[in-house]
Amino acid sequence: MEGSEELRETLVGMRRELDMLQTETAHANVLLRALDALLCVDGDADPFAGVFSDLLPIFKASHAIVLIQEDNDESLLECAASNAPALVGSRWKSSSLIAKVLSGRIVTTLSTEGTEDWPPEADACLERTQSALYLPLAVRDRRGLLMLLRTHGCAGFDRSHVTLARKFSVLASHAFAARNAHQTEAESTRLKHLADQLRVSQEALAFRANHDQLTGLPNRARIQELVDEALARKRPGEKLALAFIDLDDFKRVNDFHGHAAGDALLKGVADRIRAEVRKTDVLGRISGDEFVIVLDPFDEEEEIVALVGRIRDRLQAPFEIEGFAVDGTGSIGVAFFPAHGRDYETLRRNADTAMYQAKLASKGSVEFFSQELGRKLADRISLERRLRAAFDDREFKCVLQAKVDIHTREIVGFEALVRWVDRHGVVHAPGYFLKSANELGLLDGIANIVLDELIAKLPSLDACFGDGLRYSINVSPAQAAKPVFMRALAEKISATGRTRNFMLELTEESLLAAGVFQSEILPLLREKGIGISIDDFGTGYSSLSTLADITADELKFDRSFIRAIHQRPRSQSILRAVESLSAALGIDLVAEGIETDLENDYLKNKTRIRVGQGYLFHAPQFIDDIIAEHATLVSVAEPDSEHRATGVLR
Amino acid sequence: MVSVKSFISAGASTSQVLSDLSAKIEAAAIKPDLACIFYDADHDDQEIFRSLKLRFPEAAFLGGTSCGGAMSEAGLGGAGSIGVLLIEDHDGDYGVASVKLTGDVEDCAERALHAALDDAGCAGELPELIWIYQAPGQEEAVIAGLRRVVGDRCPIIGGSAADNAVAGKWRQLGPDGVIADGLVVGVLFSSGGIGFAFQGGYEPSGPSGVVTKVGYGAAGDSGIVTQSRGREIISIDGEPAAEVYNRWLGGRLSEKLGKSGSILTDTTMHPLGIDAGKIEDVTYFLVVHPNQVTDTGTLSTFADIEEGTRLYSMRGDKTRLVERAGKVATAAAAGIPGGLENLAGGLVVYCAGCKLAIDEQMDKVSKAITDSFEGMPFIGCFTFGEQGLVLDRNAHGNLMISAIAFGR
Repeated sequence: MEGSEELRETLVGMRRELDMLQTETAHANVLLRALDALLCVDGDADPFAGVFSDLLPIFKASHAIVLIQEDNDESLLECAASNAPALVGSRWKSSSLIAKVLSGRIVTTLSTEGTEDWPPEADACLERTQSALYLPLAVRDRRGLLMLLRTHGCAGFDRSHVTLARKFSVLASHAFAARNAHQTEAESTRLKHLADQLRVSQEALAFRANHDQLTGLPNRARIQELVDEALARKRPGEKLALAFIDLDDFKRVNDFHGHAAGDALLKGVADRIRAEVRKTDVLGRISGDEFVIVLDPFDEEEEIVALVGRIRDRLQAPFEIEGFAVDGTGSIGVAFFPAHGRDYETLRRNADTAMYQAKLASKGSVEFFSQELGRKLADRISLERRLRAAFDDREFKCVLQAKVDIHTREIVGFEALVRWVDRHGVVHAPGYFLKSANELGLLDGIANIVLDELIAKLPSLDACFGDGLRYSINVSPAQAAKPVFMRALAEKISATGRTRNFMLELTEESLLAAGVFQSEILPLLREKGIGISIDDFGTGYSSLSTLADITADELKFDRSFIRAIHQRPRSQSILRAVESLSAALGIDLVAEGIETDLENDYLKNKTRIRVGQGYLFHAPQFIDDIIAEHATLVSVAEPDSEHRATGVLR
Repeated sequence: MVSVKSFISAGASTSQVLSDLSAKIEAAAIKPDLACIFYDADHDDQEIFRSLKLRFPEAAFLGGTSCGGAMSEAGLGGAGSIGVLLIEDHDGDYGVASVKLTGDVEDCAERALHAALDDAGCAGELPELIWIYQAPGQEEAVIAGLRRVVGDRCPIIGGSAADNAVAGKWRQLGPDGVIADGLVVGVLFSSGGIGFAFQGGYEPSGPSGVVTKVGYGAAGDSGIVTQSRGREIISIDGEPAAEVYNRWLGGRLSEKLGKSGSILTDTTMHPLGIDAGKIEDVTYFLVVHPNQVTDTGTLSTFADIEEGTRLYSMRGDKTRLVERAGKVATAAAAGIPGGLENLAGGLVVYCAGCKLAIDEQMDKVSKAITDSFEGMPFIGCFTFGEQGLVLDRNAHGNLMISAIAFGR
């Protein structure tokens, strides 16, 4: 799917189609029964009794009245049948509405109030508050109509009722014609043919409503019905398993090979799984690339473990599609009844959770649901809910970690980082929430919250440290790839009028990626004078040759190399190489993650690095705390102390 | 049997355009039961009404001004255009009525609906579809009035009349002539069946917030006020609404904050969304278009917002707005008995905001609809608000597209 709009559109379309199929199936059933009732009544028995019992529930109607035009006076109609016996034989005056119906129109009214004159019998036993549906009916060579009155408390008739009424009107008129012809053989044959056709159509509709058209497998609704039925039959001690299969990287197949190939793969996967499951098992396709298998019956779970393992193995072999070898592996999750759920929805959800875990662990693998997995899922859902609320309540705060001159410990800049301070005052580090925030699409908003706070507090920071410091903002590769976000970020920084005080920390991945970032965003940042820092250098592609192609202001040598660097000759060699290159290119080098004096001593004595960052100098602090701490320092220092304008960490 | 024909012509002189249209209509030989007319607000619509009424004294009329003219299967009419859709259906019933929206707007709408049913000769009957064209501003109350009568059992489709520069020059054309600040209601009982669709082309972009305060004003002349809903959003999450919205848009409105002014074109691709319900756990959004910021930091919109509503930042793009028009037309055609093969013609409402935003690509919009309708006649108007059925509920939204298709 290109976006959620497409997903919505697909869902709406699918729901409409399913609704339509189910409605048509229900209509066909009703029509069949009503037709049978009309045709199978013996002799002069009332043919309507059976019809009414079928029609009234589906139309949610309280009354049915059949009116037939009188032979000698077409302005009058006689009630030939009704489920209200008192009305039979009553005589009704024709009206413009009735004339419309007799001419072949289906009419629905808003209510029965004031629509036409009713005979006294009707006024005595009917109320004029409900919507009515009129449909034409030819009975015994005479024109007539069927009037249905909606049950009290139900909203009036709608378009779907009109559609069903139209079908019934035609069929019932045919049936009466046949009865009137005294059931001649020809008429009987014709009607039987009609009924047979309707039955075939009903069966076809029922199949379509319950099956996926591509693979012919039961669809989501049918699988749910089957599982519900199977679970209802279960006796104590009996089990059932539900396996959830999600194809790995199916979207890539569609993208690279086209939708026809994707469809062929789905059919191929269905065939392979079908070949592996037992006759009693049921395989279904519940959405795009998701299949479920209802595994029933079995005695020991090991049987299921073995069977699911065979299916996994069977899917490992590539599929031959349009001359290409296409991978069709699937990640599989399994949940057991009754241990992991006693209804379809719970079992499906838990099998889905297990599948998700399998995909995380290794695509194409199998995972069985456990309560531990369930707890993890619950935790994740809880975290997501809290994160959404936290975002709405703007609970994300900016913290700053100083970059310092490692010789003098003078502050030369700050890196802005984020903390989540929840409603209980608990401070959460990014590792706890950033991944989920990213998946929820909140990351850009959080970045904006942090930047807004920093910008708002810049004057206070200036008062402490002067206005010459540079503040670094982290930008994730995903954000860097979004031109709209990056342009907005650049605009926001630009709006401060102090672009020289800001630097964006980007990973090598972001900087080296082709596309809009290189062609548009990077030049824009340059033009505005916003600094560029290469973050975590050494952990990404780390291509020294491509470093020469990047116009950056700063390079941050990753903490993994700094850790115990005084004892690690390999890290020392790498640092020397990077140091030479950055010096040649005029890029400032910053050492990240300095935590011990020994590490700092090495950097001071054995390298030309001037700037460092790490817990040895400064742990990230909320801006207000930094400002308050600085004010305290100043108040105890001499009035002309250099602490006032700059900042030195002791 | 339903027959539909469309006619479009453009020019600065109303008389000249009408003369051209008249010649085309004469040649087409059609006796319409319903005539839909949409035109550039710069035209003299009294003259349009007189001319068409003289030509088709028996037909039901509905229509009004449309931003920058109309479109048809022949393409975009452009500035100064007048589009006419004529529907001949002697086995069906069509009725129209118009009303000035003063006093209790819900009552006005209800009265107009009953009058339209009377006009169709179908008093007390549930129409197959209700088509409305009205002045922008009180669409929710109009729909509420119509829903009093038909609930959601019958689709209510239509648009809010538009001028060319949001200058209040919009007008409506009904059976009694031209009105401003009014409502025209049409009831359709087609013998060939009617399909319809109502969709937007936007998706959420991430940020959201809860409306914590709205401004309110008198609803019409009645003096009735509702303090919990209105078209001026004062605050979101307790902060000035314009600031929050600007933040969501990455500062796009920064230069316009602190003063009053239009943001219509700045926000067309970044409107707001309201949760209209869910399908399979996926939210369906009704789009709301912010059109002004004020010097006090509030936002005004083309649709009512209720306090406590969560607003979602939405995003769209030009390609999607072009393609969406064709998809809406396809969905409408699929809804008639017999589907596209049985299509006689259609009527399309396309948001004027989207039109202004995609500007040079508007020809592609008319082409997309023409392709979806396989060249069958249609007329499209450009509106400042759209009404339709969203998840089985009649509603008013902005930046939406609606289409109805007539079966033969």
